[in-house]
Amino acid sequence: MKEKRMGANRKRTIRRILLACLLVLLAAGLSSCGSGREKGRVYWLNYKPEIDPTLQKLAREYREKTGTEVRVITAASGTYAQTLIAEMDKSAPPTLFVLSNASDVQTWQKYAMDLRDTPIAGELSTDAYNLYDDAGRLAAVGYCYECYGIIVNPALVEAAGHSMEEIRNFDGLKAVAEDIHRRTGELGFDAFTSSDMDGSSSWRFTGHLVNLEYVYEEREAGKIWTECPPAITGAYLDYYRNLFDLCINNSLVAPNTLATGGHDAREEFVSGKAAFFINGSWEYDTISKAIPGAMMIPYYCGMAGEENAGLNCGTSNYWAVNASVSEADRQATMDFMMWLVTDPEASAEMVREVGVMPFRQAAPSENGFLKNAEEYTARGCYVMDWATNFQPNTDQYRAGLVSALNRYCAEQTDENWEAFRSAFVDGWANQYAATRP
Amino acid sequence: MKPTILTKPMRKWAWLFLGPMLVCFGIGFVWPFLHGTYLSFCRFLLVRDAEWIGGGNYAAAFSDPSFRSAFGFTAVFAVVSVILINIPAFAAALALNRKFRGRNLYRAVFFMPNLIGGIVLGHLWSMIFDGILAGFGTSILLDAKLGFWGMIIVLLWQQVGYMMIIYIAGLQAIPADMMEAAEIDGASGSQKLFRIIIPNMMPAITICLFLTLTNGFKLFDQNLALTAGQPFIQQADGTTVRTTEMLALNIYNTFYSQGPSNRGIAQAKAVIFFVTVAGISLIQLVATRRKEVQQ
Amino acid sequence: MKQEKFVVRRIVLGIICLIWILPVLAVAVNAFKMNTYVKTETFALPNAQSSAGFDNFIKGMTFGNYPFLKSALYSVVVTVLSVGAILLFTSMAAWYIARVDSKACRVIYYLCVFSMVVPFQMVMLTLSRTADSLRLNTPLTIPAVYVGFGAGLAVFMFTGFVKGIPLAIEEAASIDGCGPVRTFFTVVFPMLQPTLVSVGILEIMWIWNDYLLPVLVLDIYEYRTIPIHIQYLKGSYGTVDLGATMALILLSVVPVVVFYLFSQKHIIEGVTAGAVKG
Repeated sequence: MKEKRMGANRKRTIRRILLACLLVLLAAGLSSCGSGREKGRVYWLNYKPEIDPTLQKLAREYREKTGTEVRVITAASGTYAQTLIAEMDKSAPPTLFVLSNASDVQTWQKYAMDLRDTPIAGELSTDAYNLYDDAGRLAAVGYCYECYGIIVNPALVEAAGHSMEEIRNFDGLKAVAEDIHRRTGELGFDAFTSSDMDGSSSWRFTGHLVNLEYVYEEREAGKIWTECPPAITGAYLDYYRNLFDLCINNSLVAPNTLATGGHDAREEFVSGKAAFFINGSWEYDTISKAIPGAMMIPYYCGMAGEENAGLNCGTSNYWAVNASVSEADRQATMDFMMWLVTDPEASAEMVREVGVMPFRQAAPSENGFLKNAEEYTARGCYVMDWATNFQPNTDQYRAGLVSALNRYCAEQTDENWEAFRSAFVDGWANQYAATRP
Repeated sequence: MKPTILTKPMRKWAWLFLGPMLVCFGIGFVWPFLHGTYLSFCRFLLVRDAEWIGGGNYAAAFSDPSFRSAFGFTAVFAVVSVILINIPAFAAALALNRKFRGRNLYRAVFFMPNLIGGIVLGHLWSMIFDGILAGFGTSILLDAKLGFWGMIIVLLWQQVGYMMIIYIAGLQAIPADMMEAAEIDGASGSQKLFRIIIPNMMPAITICLFLTLTNGFKLFDQNLALTAGQPFIQQADGTTVRTTEMLALNIYNTFYSQGPSNRGIAQAKAVIFFVTVAGISLIQLVATRRKEVQQ
Repeated sequence: MKQEKFVVRRIVLGIICLIWILPVLAVAVNAFKMNTYVKTETFALPNAQSSAGFDNFIKGMTFGNYPFLKSALYSVVVTVLSVGAILLFTSMAAWYIARVDSKACRVIYYLCVFSMVVPFQMVMLTLSRTADSLRLNTPLTIPAVYVGFGAGLAVFMFTGFVKGIPLAIEEAASIDGCGPVRTFFTVVFPMLQPTLVSVGILEIMWIWNDYLLPVLVLDIYEYRTIPIHIQYLKGSYGTVDLGATMALILLSVVPVVVFYLFSQKHIIEGVTAGAVKG
């Protein structure tokens, strides 16, 4: 009897202890969500891994200066979409996130605050890099401005006995590239860097090089796209093929080894193994250190009148402010953004990493490739806008292009090219349909 | 089972024995599972804003050709992998059940691949396949057959060791006198195998079949890292078939597609996927368990 | 004659084992090569030209602004706590389920089996949201999630094993005046040892290598585990430093291999004895 009561006592004690533990846990949980909200916090979910160190440094400086809680979390490469969805659902979601194209805006518009008439919108030096949602709200502002094209090492072109003057259109480019490739044994370098089709490089061809096709479709229609067209014609794909063929067949590596990648195109270019490299202005910092004379030329592809083509200018980096966080958080976030684009030192650091920032007071950029872009524009050449930003269901659409290009690289037949055309044209329509309600 | 002397006092402590596990199980499985099932009837981007739309997601999932082709591919893959993993594992168990020097080393070698995680494994093997196939001027990404067998090889390499260990445990559970009796009666090797070893190992076989079947169906990391569904085939009507895309990857790709309705559709696909796996494993368990009773 | 057969068998076995271990060796070899040579000379040993010495290890451990050692520490904390909690809680539950065997117990048991076939994709969004709303986003609290998602297999295996233990020992303890709690911890738990080891190694392998669950649940600003760290090696624009990746993989596999070698005896003895008898 006594023993039984003792057992019951002990049982009660254990119960009480467990209950107490539970309460403490709950209390800890509640307190952590209730505190520190008055001041407003900043949480930037960053998309570009390469600028992470700079952003962490700036966040630390801003925190020390103003006492605002600033977090910058960079998604691991290739996991941004996944991270964004998971983080946005959390109790302390990102207050500032990055969208990269029109399709993203369509997906996220409900969570993107209307930035019209905000101080940050007032700082913008142009409206050209803004994204508006279906209702005409300013959902995202481009925070940096980039360009892409063909990066050339003029020293190598000259070492092969040619001059940059010869490269004014596709025929000129082809003659020079094929000559270099033919004499690669004698010269010690080749024409193009490798064109891997794995995740490390395929975006250069399925995201950037394809832009030329879209732009010429736009030019034929006489106006630039402002929203994703339900279908495209692929009428200018032969020009894409011209340049793509030149690129894979006059290169350091055989076209049938491109599918699984493993080459390092940037390394090939900076070490002087190849004269041409399809890429963009974000590479300037790395490249100019090794090859100070490097310059960027347009995608010459055989289009009539392409002597007047300029570089591909635009951005795929747009800031959106989370509409679903508290007023204080949004305010703190916009204050932070203002600081990034107006403070002389902070904006100088940013500009060094991301190229031109289209804000009135932002520091000027030293990026040589962006200067090339300006020179073309100043000369009256037409700018190739980033029509590629309208690719529907971007990742899935590009995956289709990659698979078709793999087949084509292994066997360059017309049949395989037609399969690529189908992935390019029909794939667009399919992915457009897949993302509409 | 009839109550024993232990049953009554134990019941008083049910909260202690079951409590912690049940609380965690609720948090880590039951609630997310129910919530996930609910979401399959919703349109949502973020979970907190889910909006009920009824069965539309299921209709969309069933009419998606890529989902249907992934379904077929996965089923074939699972069946082939079950056969090709279990037979070598069983053979290895028979070979390594004998006593000889270095036996533990051999076992350790077979078990080793289990210690490396899925994504890492994918990187590693795509490197190896590249190295080999480049010599033949092709790649695992160009040919659906290569992709299929490549993934089979990886899964086989990874799982044979573990299944082998389960089979060894099963072998050791066979009473020694039974084997001796067979020996004395002059039974042949195959007689011993089919009359004594296999019937006595049905529990181990059940569990191995169950594990390999569900693992085959649920394969994801290796699929993503090795082929990511490539090669794709453009069909005449403009749709794309991803020839080596398995169900889990198809669901994953749908989840992270843009547009407002795809997450709901992915969730519905996940439910369909789950019901299929559960159904097939149930049939398999019932079928092999019945064999266990008979012997 | 018999001797000959034996030798042949040993040679065949040896060759198969060699093939089996090659991929693991490939990781080790490539961890010492410069990145550009990993894909082009996968199977060659590092030579004067391609050797990177320990550079890959240094890069892997120092890149970015998140210290590798910190992520290693969190990996250890998460794994040890989670596996400890799984072993304790599920063995307790399994004993109760096996011995009381009421209707409710059977329901729980079948729920556990059921949870083993559920693909992670089905619960990944809702699980991360549930964990977030309960503030389970630190290495000290994430074990609750792991216990929950990993309970199925563990309960399944423990229950099978307990059923194979003769009741008499527990009954004797009970007659001697032992309450259920003492009976479990002094009599049953020690007997479970072989299964504890084999369930333990399974769960260790899963949790140590897991990427998706921690990256969804943990507050990745503060806490990263080794698999998350490895993912961050993928640089800007998707370029992968394969050499450094291999180096980190090698580093991360070592502790598990060591643990395995130390506990191998138990694994073979007990492995899944539970499951097999279930």
